[in-house]
Amino acid sequence: MLTLRYKAETPIPVEVEGLTPSAVRTMPLAEIERFEIFHGNRKRPLAEFFDVSGDPSDARLEFEGSLSGVHWIGAQMSEGEVHIRGDAGRHVGSEMTGGTIHVHGNASDWVGGEMHGGLIHVHGHAGHLVGSAYRGSRLGMTGGTILVDGSVGNEVGLTLRRGLVAIGGNCGDFVGANMIAGTVLVFGESGNRPAAGMRRGTVGLLGGHPPALLVTFRKTCVCKPPVLRLALAHLQSLNFLVPDDCWDADYGVYNGDRVTVGRGEILVRESQAARASA
Amino acid sequence: MSSGFFKVAGGTVYDPVHGINGERRDIWIRDGKIVDAPPAPDVRPDKTIDASGLVVMPGGVDMHCHIAGPKVNSARKMRPEDKRKAEKVVRTAGTRSGTMGSVPSTFATGYKYAGMGYTTAFDAAIPPLAARHVHEEFEDTPCIDKGFFVLMGNNHFVMQSIQRKEPERLRSFIAWLLGAAKGYTPKIVNPGGVEVWKQLPSGNVHGLDENVEHFGVTARQIIEQVARAVEELRLPHSVHLHCNNLGMPGNWRTTLETMKTFGDSRGHLSHIQFHSYGGGDADETTFNSKAKELVEYVDAHPNLTVDVGQVLFGETTTMTADGPLGYYLSNAFKSKWFSSDTEMESGCGIAPIEYKNTSLVHSLQWAIGLEWYLLAKDPWRVVMSTDHPNGGSFLAYPQIIQLLMDRTYRHDMLKQVHPAVLERSTLGDLTREYSLYEICIITRSGPARILGLPNKGHLGPGADADITIYTPNDDKTKMFEMPRAVIKSGVLIVDQGEIREPLTGKLLYVAPEYDRGIESDVADWFEKYYSIRFRNYTVPLDYLHDAEEVRTA
Repeated sequence: MLTLRYKAETPIPVEVEGLTPSAVRTMPLAEIERFEIFHGNRKRPLAEFFDVSGDPSDARLEFEGSLSGVHWIGAQMSEGEVHIRGDAGRHVGSEMTGGTIHVHGNASDWVGGEMHGGLIHVHGHAGHLVGSAYRGSRLGMTGGTILVDGSVGNEVGLTLRRGLVAIGGNCGDFVGANMIAGTVLVFGESGNRPAAGMRRGTVGLLGGHPPALLVTFRKTCVCKPPVLRLALAHLQSLNFLVPDDCWDADYGVYNGDRVTVGRGEILVRESQAARASA
Repeated sequence: MSSGFFKVAGGTVYDPVHGINGERRDIWIRDGKIVDAPPAPDVRPDKTIDASGLVVMPGGVDMHCHIAGPKVNSARKMRPEDKRKAEKVVRTAGTRSGTMGSVPSTFATGYKYAGMGYTTAFDAAIPPLAARHVHEEFEDTPCIDKGFFVLMGNNHFVMQSIQRKEPERLRSFIAWLLGAAKGYTPKIVNPGGVEVWKQLPSGNVHGLDENVEHFGVTARQIIEQVARAVEELRLPHSVHLHCNNLGMPGNWRTTLETMKTFGDSRGHLSHIQFHSYGGGDADETTFNSKAKELVEYVDAHPNLTVDVGQVLFGETTTMTADGPLGYYLSNAFKSKWFSSDTEMESGCGIAPIEYKNTSLVHSLQWAIGLEWYLLAKDPWRVVMSTDHPNGGSFLAYPQIIQLLMDRTYRHDMLKQVHPAVLERSTLGDLTREYSLYEICIITRSGPARILGLPNKGHLGPGADADITIYTPNDDKTKMFEMPRAVIKSGVLIVDQGEIREPLTGKLLYVAPEYDRGIESDVADWFEKYYSIRFRNYTVPLDYLHDAEEVRTA
């Protein structure tokens, strides 16, 4: 295990893009200490900001300290494990294709931006645009799983193409906006305009007080979707807390968004559905 | 003591303007110009580049690209995903950082052109309303000399003058507008069609004789009248035309009719590949090449010139003043779309697209471009272009050179495209291979001559000392993508692919004479219809960075 203890105090962003388990696993410590990262727009050696110790050969990195100003941790990683002991900055696990990231604290915006594979589990809260497409992209996240135990901001799963995003707490506006496919499940409350512009895929609003749905979604039935139980069981197997009252509830199925292809669905707990369409 | 001379010694020189075809020569430079060798044999140059065994050509001239102006900036802004994944242009001690992708940033554009041996480039479609900003952008586009063509084919004042049958008023307005914008020649894009697009839902004109509502003019009249005015003003370059019906199956008939419309007047038809299609009405299954028929007409009419607009496979961003075309492309590719209306002057459409070699249409577009180069008898009137970035990046020029010089490479690539290309074009039968002399013509000497630039495209005394030195290589892509050295205005700006001295480069513009009485007429027009005051419209000379007026004939 390679331990990277953050020691710097700087208001300027520190970016560690490229510092992945596979990039450093065969490097001696001295070389890792010379690994160039960005401090603002200047390249600096890693050792100016981190105390480096341990052995990287098992492809496990442990980041320690107050890392809220450190961005792109685990970005583009393809294997191994990353543990962040503390708060993390933006773009955790961006474009990762494999491996596992655990944030044992809060994370900022863009967790798993355009992620392709692997698992990110944020044990605290996260910012905006979790599992989302970067601006301009035709496709967002195309695979993998993102779990956030706490609450998140706006635009979760923007232009999601494939994969699973689960939010244990509340989410902001535009969850699942422009979704192409894939699944976003929110166990807390949701902000306005969920799944706006979605083409296919599933957005599950499984918590209380769902917002009024857009008029371009039509209620088609009430059921206990078997696929939802499978998804919940999968989440439970990943140590994600699934509330007991989700398992056997009835869900209203709303198809849309009819401003586009209209083949997506929003699942709303039936006990709340009456409020949703009122 | 300094002699002031710079010498490129012993290179294998290609200078088609002077009939020099691979001869060992010295080139002498002084004060940014090519000069005769000093008569005194003991004169020693301050600096010498030993070019023995190397190929020496004039700097490249790109006569049709899109590198500045509102459409380019809108494309830069609407494609962050394109830039994010592209090569990064990092800051060095002497150069600025930048971004690439299909629409590079200003500084990167200059560096990349120079790094490839090009020293002059013309933006092909600038609405004069945006000219001031274009000059600012050009100042930030280093290493190359620049100019631009001024959009006029859908300008309300132009169409009104034609409607009123006032050719003198039209001529004076064109001259005034070129001078006000500090542009180079009138550009006509889909004449009349853009105006109809702005008037009606999905509007366009589909033939030369369709009426443009409100103005009561036709595309044919616009082309004829503007071309005549350009001839009367004796501008160095002809009118620069983007024909009606770009990209549509069967559009070759419109193109041929357009060529006939020029009569004896000079005319340049841009990105001709996109206008050389046979087939039925918007029916892609009948799509085929009509390059042969059009090449024969151009070969027989020395007043006509073309640039090709070669398509290369891959992603790019289309940008055009042809507003309805932008809409068509965004629907065809289901991509995002930008559209704008430039007041009384023009329109604009932008859409990202991807050319795929598995697509019959795209493969034919690729083949038709190559047919134009390979069928044309006179290379002086066929210019290399990709209509950057519409057909592909200007950075693809080395690959196009290899396609033209190496038929084995070309036929290998032909095997990788849609098989129906062999039936629907003549490319499979063409065995011609370009020589370095001919490449020199279609990439520098020809475009310089067509543009009427007396100091570009050759290496004779009086020419700008814009020189590119290549290391010979059987792999022509490698040879042309990284010259050994590039000299601009007598300064070594690129050495072994590294930018050494990023000169600003100068603006090339025209200032034709005209009847000053037109100005009060135009001022009234501005006060009635424009969002900008007349007195603020003209770009004054002192607003320009280094600039050179190219004299009318």
